Amino acid sequence: MSFLDRIAEGWRKNRKPGYYENFDYHWTMTIDLDQCSGCGACVTACQAENNLPIVGEKAFAKGREVKWLRMEHYWEGEYPDVKLNIIPMLCQHCDNAPCETVCPVSATYHNQDGLNTQIYNRCIGTRSCAVYCPYEVRYFNYNDHTWDSPLDQQLNPDVSVREKGVMEKCTFCIQRVRQAKDTAKDDGRRRVRDGEVQPACVQTCPSQAMAFGDRNDPESNVSQTLAGPRAYRVLDELNTKSSVVYLKKVETEA
Amino acid sequence: MNVSIQPALKSLRTAALIALFALIGICFGYFFNFLVTDNPQVSAPEQPIAFSHKIHAGDNEIPCQYCHTEARRSPSAGVPSVSKCMGCHTEVATESPLIRQVTEYWENKEPIPWIKVHDLPDFVHFTHKRHVQAGVACQTCHGPVETMDRIAVHSRNNDGPTLFASTTGQITNLEASNSGATQNDHWEMGLCLNCHKQHDVVDGKAVRVAEGGFDNGLDCWTCHK
Repeated sequence: MSFLDRIAEGWRKNRKPGYYENFDYHWTMTIDLDQCSGCGACVTACQAENNLPIVGEKAFAKGREVKWLRMEHYWEGEYPDVKLNIIPMLCQHCDNAPCETVCPVSATYHNQDGLNTQIYNRCIGTRSCAVYCPYEVRYFNYNDHTWDSPLDQQLNPDVSVREKGVMEKCTFCIQRVRQAKDTAKDDGRRRVRDGEVQPACVQTCPSQAMAFGDRNDPESNVSQTLAGPRAYRVLDELNTKSSVVYLKKVETEA
Repeated sequence: MNVSIQPALKSLRTAALIALFALIGICFGYFFNFLVTDNPQVSAPEQPIAFSHKIHAGDNEIPCQYCHTEARRSPSAGVPSVSKCMGCHTEVATESPLIRQVTEYWENKEPIPWIKVHDLPDFVHFTHKRHVQAGVACQTCHGPVETMDRIAVHSRNNDGPTLFASTTGQITNLEASNSGATQNDHWEMGLCLNCHKQHDVVDGKAVRVAEGGFDNGLDCWTCHK
């Protein structure tokens, strides 16, 4: 088999419908907007866990901040009859991810756990993925960021510190996912237990609006939530088949 | 009317010269880069104490994990503490000048500032635990440490056939181990990938397979995260 044939075969294998359903896990996050108070603890937790840089005032003004998880605020109505709608927005880990098809170096691809990966050392910084992402959750490092001592001591050793010129985004705290799988292997278990993996945002959420789990497992917490009537996906009409599912806020008519 | 291309050529001369110099520059740069970066770099720094793995692991057959205890239960193999050295050397060879140095560190309650030789880039998150527990021999990646007086590693070598060389410059052949990696590989990603493509995990042990290998270990996020 020639080299090109092998590439084509690999491509077809990964694009076959139902391919991703055969794998062990399909990580999914649910965010209950009814419980979310918009406190932003998840944003801070993400920042601490994943070595996100503070870009500074100047870069911020240019819209170059890096926040894998951000609170989006939507104001409704005119003062004084205003209403604030809040939605935490992070990488949706789409099954049909628009960012993956445009990466010229396969730095972003779909892995077997249904996650949308981002490999920093492979990324060459074309920023095509950020252009194609409908959720605008990919962030580019326009500068090298430094942590003054003693702040460098709080960097997470399990996560790479990204350098200038690479794209980054939410990884569903892959270091914690791998850690949980590692522990499962040590215990002689084949699978990770439901609720064993908690990304930093899920762990921190004071109102427990967020949940994380495997939707291949029908018994898991998230699978049961997914079946509920409030579940919806953001920009579902784009057929991205995202892995982050929001639960609609229940409105009471005033 | 006589049309000449001479004037056009004249103005092009500067451009042609620049292009020529650029070409020479690129050629020079290419080979210079090759000269600098692709040279076999045997990294064998002189350690604060001339510790010999040959005496300990080779002649006296002390198992690797007697000192590197963390290898089987943590991502990092760990460097033994001074107390581990003193565990034996309060009794063994106490009068040797090298051991006196160790004792000095011990009495001053200072760690020995060993220099790291087998160093992976910061974007690689390798775990010793999984590999040691799967029965992969240390020598598969680290080479014949038990024959080395001073630890050495070939970080990159495009010309020579060996990954590991002892400090005497003598090339030591690694016995074809059950783990698949050969001394032809460099201390870089190919070393990991080749082995992962040739092995599968059966009952928690790495077993050689003809083709395929295990899917899970080939995901980029296994190491890069």
